[in-house]
Amino acid sequence: MAREQRTERSSFRRYFPPKRKVCRFCQRNVRDIDYKNVDILKRYILERGKISPRRVSGTCSYHQRRLSTAIKRARILALLPFLED
Amino acid sequence: MTQYETAFLISPNLEEEAIEKVISQMAEVVKKKGKLINEDRWGKKRLAYPIQNFEEAFYVFFLYEADPSIPFELERRFKQTEAILRFLTIKKETREKVRKKEKEIPEEEKSLSAAEEIPTEGEDFEEEAEVAAERKEEDEEADEKAEADAREEAVEKEEKVDEEASLPEEKAKEED
Repeated sequence: MAREQRTERSSFRRYFPPKRKVCRFCQRNVRDIDYKNVDILKRYILERGKISPRRVSGTCSYHQRRLSTAIKRARILALLPFLED
Repeated sequence: MTQYETAFLISPNLEEEAIEKVISQMAEVVKKKGKLINEDRWGKKRLAYPIQNFEEAFYVFFLYEADPSIPFELERRFKQTEAILRFLTIKKETREKVRKKEKEIPEEEKSLSAAEEIPTEGEDFEEEAEVAAERKEEDEEADEKAEADAREEAVEKEEKVDEEASLPEEKAKEED
């Protein structure tokens, strides 16, 4: 079973190699992510208001941690929605 | 002394003077024992979701340096004041906690352990070790970049080999 999945994946990968994602915060050498900076945070929430996962946004683990606390703080102050419908 | 940042939302149905009064009251609490570094007012801003049926609120941010007793006192006041819809106090990180050195390594590989970053000990990638040994003779700056590249290449090669190895099986399955 596992074997089958693997072959499927690799043949798919052959024609569509994954694009290497790079953390956009690391690129700009950002240390702190401010919860007040709504414009940036907005890019990292999905349309339902969820925090976008690392595999989607390509954020590194260090910045993802910072990002998630920043988003949570912004939610408390009603700068970002807890959920959107 | 620690740096704190306190944000609070004032209800929008207050008069401007009343809002002013609340803010100055809170500022005094801070000034009494601490140092108010910055006071930021965003004015009336739309909320992302209604709080107490209000659709907008007056945003104020205090950045100050004080003993830990001050934020407690502030928050106690906030709770007593009905006009305050929300508040949030955070401790500002003044100093960087130990952060690993900046190197020209792709992000995904930063998470690898330090041992693997030393090229000569790449057990899984023998090719990589060889390449690295060759490159050592070149100058250092180019070295780092090339190493990273070589590593990527090695990984890609491996994947390709995998694919090709798996292809015959696939065909066999299809025939079945």
